[in-house]
Amino acid sequence: MATVSLTIDNVKVEVEQGSTILEAAKQIGVNIPTLCYMKDINAIGACRICVVEVQGARALQAACVSPVAEGMVVKTNSAAVRASRKMTLELIQSNHPQECNTCQRNTNCELQALSEAMALGDIRFVRPAQSHSKDDIDNSSPSIVRDPRKCILCRRCVAVCEKVQGVKCISTMNRGFETVVAPPFNQSLNDVNCAMCGQCSLVCPTGAIVEVDDTGKVWRALDDANKHVVVQTAPAVRVAIAEEFGMEPGTLAQASWWQPSPPRL
Amino acid sequence: MDTDFTADLTIMEEGTEFIKRVTSGGVLPMITSCSPGWIKYIEMYYPDLLAHLSTCKSPQQMFGALAKTFYAEKKGIDPANIYSVSIMPCTAKKFEAQRDELTDSGYQDVDVVLTTRELGRMLREIGVDWDSLPEENYDDPMGLSTGAAVIFGATGGVMEAAVRTVYEILTKQPLPDINLTPVRGMEGIKEATLKVGDLDVKVAVAHTLGNARKLLDKIRAGEADYHFIEIMCCPGGCIGGGGQPIPTNLDVRLKRIAGTYKADEELPLRKSHENPAITAIYEQFLGEPLGEKSHKLLHTFYVPRGVYSKPEGLPDKVPSDDHH
Ligand code: SF4
Ligand code: SF4
Ligand code: SF4
Ligand code: FES
Repeated sequence: MATVSLTIDNVKVEVEQGSTILEAAKQIGVNIPTLCYMKDINAIGACRICVVEVQGARALQAACVSPVAEGMVVKTNSAAVRASRKMTLELIQSNHPQECNTCQRNTNCELQALSEAMALGDIRFVRPAQSHSKDDIDNSSPSIVRDPRKCILCRRCVAVCEKVQGVKCISTMNRGFETVVAPPFNQSLNDVNCAMCGQCSLVCPTGAIVEVDDTGKVWRALDDANKHVVVQTAPAVRVAIAEEFGMEPGTLAQASWWQPSPPRL
Repeated sequence: MDTDFTADLTIMEEGTEFIKRVTSGGVLPMITSCSPGWIKYIEMYYPDLLAHLSTCKSPQQMFGALAKTFYAEKKGIDPANIYSVSIMPCTAKKFEAQRDELTDSGYQDVDVVLTTRELGRMLREIGVDWDSLPEENYDDPMGLSTGAAVIFGATGGVMEAAVRTVYEILTKQPLPDINLTPVRGMEGIKEATLKVGDLDVKVAVAHTLGNARKLLDKIRAGEADYHFIEIMCCPGGCIGGGGQPIPTNLDVRLKRIAGTYKADEELPLRKSHENPAITAIYEQFLGEPLGEKSHKLLHTFYVPRGVYSKPEGLPDKVPSDDHH
């Protein structure tokens, strides 16, 4: 294995040739923030949140796509780096609905978390007319809702749909502020070859692709004295629901279910 | 009640269907049919291969059909007043529940599907204190299940569960090793060959639609000598489903898989055919696997869709003689 040595934040590190700066930094416990990057699936250098300063380079480099080189000297948290990341975030937010409180991803959103972590105090250039409006929300599918207003164009959904699922039913269209991630010709998701798998909703860093929320229907049925509500829970829910309450993934949601009582039929 | 109960039931029906196909020259390889994203995918992209799908409904839909028939009868409730909710790791299950043909109870068999994330939201809305929840069993008569049902949640699990039952039904011998480790884990396509009596049964397991495509291309090209294939739409199987808590990444998936197999190991019963509630439902209501009632309530047909429109020359539904 050929290796390369470089310096990141004054720490010398030796990594496999062909690694990215992001991977090298991770080896020494330096976390570089990312938004569009997804290991093995999406490395396209689109969002520029992961920029770092490379000595001798003309501009800041996107760590997720920049390969390491022998003798490289990298700074991941210089003033220029911090200012650039903050500006990038501010520009994303300038064209983003400020509705965290009512968003399905409230408290579990990468954009929100980064804005908090980077102490984004002020959004100075909110676009008076945002690129997309509520009319552009696609709720045709019984499974998932697309809200282009909240899309930061990271293309993680596009990558998972194409590379993992091989379905390719969403991609970027148009240019500039008009850019939208949508099915071909901006058709509704329900009318195209979407498998409804929702993998895009898992990888979306924001609330731009979410599950259809049917909780209202269930509350109404529970509140209806004439209805007898029957509930079933799938095998995979019991090892995951605890995560909704901050527990470790894989925690079993029900201990007594290991000792079932004899059936009463 | 528990979808795991109908997962055990799925094994009884699907296992019996598999044995029937092997012994009477039916279409092989037979492919599992419990993952609705996968079903929509094959209906769109490989409508010519639909006869390979098991006709078994998914456990969710078996449960739905039984809730408004068997359960309603047992409890003396008018099925019109039953509202059937399922909690799923899956967004495609919402689509599945709305399919026109999944109404064999005389009503929409499943009224609404919530993802794990939505259930979390509802529980937080009423301020559930997770740590002080009392421990309770699932309700009867569709609450008792085995380890074979639990592992449906992980890629390879349905295959492993099926093998545990098919082996013992065919050979009438106990399975030498209950753990079918070659089909476990995150590798995209897994294969195994098992000696079942005189027969070498060749199985394959794929998760993600990208990997499914590779197996389907092999079938189309006539190069697949498998008997039985399990396909799950999502990476890692249902534990990595599109409705699961966020984040769901490789690390999280592995932990949920570990939790799944641990649960299986700790359960007193680990084979679907040993579930006394399953024996009881056949005795009291269904008759026998693949019997008349099973056929009506637990099996279904598929719709060749094509990617843009239904390709010419294909029937409206597969199997085309299905009288649902
Ligand atoms: S997507 Fe994130 S940042 Fe945008 S409104 Fe929702 S929670 Fe807030
Ligand atoms: S639900 Fe699945 S198939 Fe549909 S767009 Fe998302 S990733 Fe693609
Ligand atoms: S919908 Fe989500 S995942 Fe897709 S590009 Fe927009 S922000 Fe990224
Ligand atoms: S994470 Fe590197 S450019 Fe987006």
